Amino acid sequence: MRKRSVLILAVGLATILAGCSGSSGSTGNNGNSPDSSAADNGGGKGGGKVQLTGIIVKNGLTKPLKEMEWLQKAEDDAGVEIKWQEISSDWSQKKGTLLASGDIPDLIVGQGAISDADYAQFSGLFQDMTDLIQQYAPNVQTMFDEKPVTRTISTQPDGKIYGLPKYQRYWPGTGTRQYINQQWLNKLGLQMPTNWDELYNVLEAFKKEDANGNGDPNDEIPMDFAPVGTGGFGFFQPTVLLGSTGITMSDDSFQGYFVENGVVKNFVTDERYKQMVEFLHKCYEAGLINPEVFTQDYTKFQANGRGSGDTAKVGFTFGWGSSDRFGNVLPQQYASVPPLKVSADSDVQLSWSYDYNFMNYAGNMIEMSAKAKDKAAAMRFINELYNPTVSMQVLFGSIGPNIKDNGDGTYSVLPPQDPKMDPGTWKWTSTWGDAGPMYLADSLNLSLPQDMAEVLEEEQPLRSVLDQIDEDKDYYPGPFMKYSSTDINTLSLNDKNLMSIAMPKFAEWVTKGGIENGWDAYVKNCEKAGLPQNLTIMQQYYDHYKTSK
Amino acid sequence: MGHAESRGSEIWFRALLYAVCFIIFLIIAYPLYFIVIASISDSTLVSAGKVILIPKGISSFGYGEIFKDTRIWTGYGNTIVYTVLGTFVNLLFTIPAAYVLSRPEFKARRIIMLLFVITMFFNGGLIPTFLLMKGLHLTNTMWVFILPFSVNVYNLIIARTFFETSLPKELYEAAEMDGCSHFKYFAYVVFPLSKALISVIGLYYLVAHWNDFFTALIYIRSNELQPLQIILRDILLSNQVFANGVGQGGDVGGYAQRYADQIKYGVIIVSTLPILIVYPFIQKYFEKGVMIGSVKG
Amino acid sequence: MEPRIKAMGIAVTEKKTAARILIRDYQLWIMILPAIIVIVLFNYVPMYGIQLAFRDYDFSKGITGGAWHGLFYFKQFINSFQFADLMRNTISISVATILLSFPAPIILALILNQLRKKRVKEMMQTIVYLPHFISIVVIVGMLNVLLSPSSGIIGYLVKSLGFADLNLLASTHAFIPVYVLSDIWQHCGWNSIIYLAALSTVDPQLYDAVKIDGASRWQTVRYIEFPALIPTIVILFILSMGSVLGTGFEKVFLMQNTLNLPVSEVIATYVYKIGIVSNQFSYSAAIGLFNTVINFIFLFAMNYISRKSSNISLW
Repeated sequence: MRKRSVLILAVGLATILAGCSGSSGSTGNNGNSPDSSAADNGGGKGGGKVQLTGIIVKNGLTKPLKEMEWLQKAEDDAGVEIKWQEISSDWSQKKGTLLASGDIPDLIVGQGAISDADYAQFSGLFQDMTDLIQQYAPNVQTMFDEKPVTRTISTQPDGKIYGLPKYQRYWPGTGTRQYINQQWLNKLGLQMPTNWDELYNVLEAFKKEDANGNGDPNDEIPMDFAPVGTGGFGFFQPTVLLGSTGITMSDDSFQGYFVENGVVKNFVTDERYKQMVEFLHKCYEAGLINPEVFTQDYTKFQANGRGSGDTAKVGFTFGWGSSDRFGNVLPQQYASVPPLKVSADSDVQLSWSYDYNFMNYAGNMIEMSAKAKDKAAAMRFINELYNPTVSMQVLFGSIGPNIKDNGDGTYSVLPPQDPKMDPGTWKWTSTWGDAGPMYLADSLNLSLPQDMAEVLEEEQPLRSVLDQIDEDKDYYPGPFMKYSSTDINTLSLNDKNLMSIAMPKFAEWVTKGGIENGWDAYVKNCEKAGLPQNLTIMQQYYDHYKTSK
Repeated sequence: MGHAESRGSEIWFRALLYAVCFIIFLIIAYPLYFIVIASISDSTLVSAGKVILIPKGISSFGYGEIFKDTRIWTGYGNTIVYTVLGTFVNLLFTIPAAYVLSRPEFKARRIIMLLFVITMFFNGGLIPTFLLMKGLHLTNTMWVFILPFSVNVYNLIIARTFFETSLPKELYEAAEMDGCSHFKYFAYVVFPLSKALISVIGLYYLVAHWNDFFTALIYIRSNELQPLQIILRDILLSNQVFANGVGQGGDVGGYAQRYADQIKYGVIIVSTLPILIVYPFIQKYFEKGVMIGSVKG
Repeated sequence: MEPRIKAMGIAVTEKKTAARILIRDYQLWIMILPAIIVIVLFNYVPMYGIQLAFRDYDFSKGITGGAWHGLFYFKQFINSFQFADLMRNTISISVATILLSFPAPIILALILNQLRKKRVKEMMQTIVYLPHFISIVVIVGMLNVLLSPSSGIIGYLVKSLGFADLNLLASTHAFIPVYVLSDIWQHCGWNSIIYLAALSTVDPQLYDAVKIDGASRWQTVRYIEFPALIPTIVILFILSMGSVLGTGFEKVFLMQNTLNLPVSEVIATYVYKIGIVSNQFSYSAAIGLFNTVINFIFLFAMNYISRKSSNISLW
């Protein structure tokens, strides 16, 4: 009985609360669908600004959009006021119902929030912006003229433009750099290794001796690399060693595809990949690779790199930049390692992973709804974003707190206002960062923050090799490719099968060995999984791309 | 089987029982304790396995991140409303239905049960359901939490089983003799006797509402209506950015990385505490003999 | 029952039958009406979406407008490269889960029911259900930390017991045990609540009666407590048969790594992965339907067997 009266009380309370939240809910609701925005705009129109709705798929660290000064100014300059829905998680779950219900806002922003496949599948939902660009977006037009490849990325196979790209310009030419603990080398009287055999000897020394000087000869991890996923390879993994065998990876070749002299290939069935895996196994067997390398997660991988205090734990590894990889205290112990040769007498042309395009270009950063009521206004806003001075604020933050206007036409990115914060976190907190549409024109004069400068400097030892990669003949232009939807389906299904064979085998052969015996059966398996079909399809697209350039 | 003997074996049994319970307690409690200390320790130390019995590198970054998000409080408020109202409606619809299905004289019970069970397996998919909600104007309102999935067939089955097995047939016959209708019988006899059942089913529904994030994920747009779990999940997943490293083409912050995992652990505590408080009130209804006493009366 | 009433006079029975049945049943129908409305409206109305498994998804024409492909997507799935592996993995994991996780809460309930001190019993009950509330992201995160051979407590225990080479997180043999045991750890307590509630309805007089007859503790459990649980056990078991192909997505996905992938790739994770690059609505709908049809067949069969042998069944 007591329970019942409590229940009744609760229901009464709830009804009252429901009444309150119900009414506030409806006013909070007005901006999210194109229909109601017109109805609620009676007062707004009087102010002269066009009301728009938008969704942004942003990084979890990013602060609320209404606190971004540059954004408020951009909206003012375009004569619009945008009601943003900010999403930082579960976009893939929400996207399906959003698109299928046909209920999308005027603008959608975010890296890869909408894909080429979506345009094909939900035809009629997105606005073809070709004409609007000519009328209202001179900045975008300039970008297309100055960097024609941006137009290529934006144009769908049917010739229409549904999404606009970004061009970041300053990002490095490759995602992965390799590092070695110079302090340990010095302590043990060793030279920087120049080939795999020397590397092996150095790693052995790291393991046997007390390289970090803390009295324990057994706590060093000679080599560590980032967790290898089940869907393919990625940054900070030893696949960059394929460069020693002469293979040039394209945008890190997540699924193994690369181009050699105009021919599309895949390294997972290549003899040179076999060579690399054998080397890795030799190292693993001798205890030179972190035994948990395949089971640890990324946080643990990074934790290893940070050692403890000023005692380092890792000898040789891969990473983005030394402060990202090693924290605040240890970077000074590490040095960047130039590409290694396979052996002292190898005369193969060294290579690395050519990632510039992947790092700096991306398509589908912003889209417009076909049902937007004021498309001209929406386009004007988009145009603001592609003004290089606004773009730099999209990437690094507002002028004032994040960027300094030097008064002479040049700008500098300022260090974080919070001294404990590193520049990467600061950037992501303050603004859209890499997730925003932008065009950082070559004419822009901007001095970079310390973490970017550091990365570019650490890339120097790789530069000579990177510079002589022939983008024309040895690169697969993944970011610029437009596939038909049937082909995308075929490619992705086959790749899924292929990776489900290749990745476990990679892990197994590195940890347990046996590649000699298993290789032939494995190659046959890969072919059954559909690899030849994918190579044919991709070759077709590649050839077509070359001729239409 | 003398008294002395059984006393001895009784003591052995008690000892064994307590030992087993103690082990169970440790196995469950240690990881829970771990969560508490991990929620205030330096994450890199935690994943390096250095945090075992005492917290290390104490910082409240995690809780700070969670609570500085003011949406937490609207989240709590919303979830309480949805849960209370929702559970009330759940019970209102489910318990009478279970009673009906337990009556052998109700001819349609088998076919209706079959139709209900089918819905546990076959459903039209997310998109048609979404379109239906939209058509009924339930999207982006609080009612989407209360009406649509108010009858959970699994719970319905459990309730029906309870009615079938724990209510003596004689009870109904006696009532029927006195001219009692189903309504009266249910309200005055069955309902008071089912305290244990209502508590359990009520608890199941309550917890389901409390933990539900999927409904809001798909059907709710405006921030004022978001329940607690969405906000926590948002905070949690947003901070998992670190778990994947180069998310969007660049280094993603060493500073926050040190404390990223705190949020993972802190979120559980924030989310579970209210249930912990409510449960003891419901628990006493599971006690032995609660129902039987009423029968006597 | 019948004989008693008959004895009271046929006339009385007949009057009762005619008028009473009508009134009786109408009341029952009212009581069940809200549930029927809710389920018909929210579950049956959208069911037309099932046909997506047999059609192409054409946005401009709506769900029912796409080209009809019949069993095309089903065939695509069954003939796909990984079909055999997916089926094997999915079934192994779910069968192991059912076999081990089903008895555990029952045993726990029986154990806890033996506790006589109220405070201890309540405390144990509270503690054991708590893990149920931990999100799966955290559970797997904890597994990674605790089982790590280099830095985790359990990893350390394993090493000191002599299995120096065994990395619980990597071994294909360890995947299912780790998955199932952590599942039990997490849900056993919560699942035992229903059994404890059922045990609480046992008449205390029964206990007194058998004690007087000199029954041992074990006999009490066997002849009083366990039978009280049987209807619940049977029904819940039938229901669990409906999850044979139901190995959930999130936990497996989080636990997967390259070393255990051969045993950890299940239907749900496969569907998720093919969905990332291309919106294969129809293909995933077909796979989903394939899943549920098999699950339903199992449930149906189990229900039939149970009805014939023990008269306890869902319908």
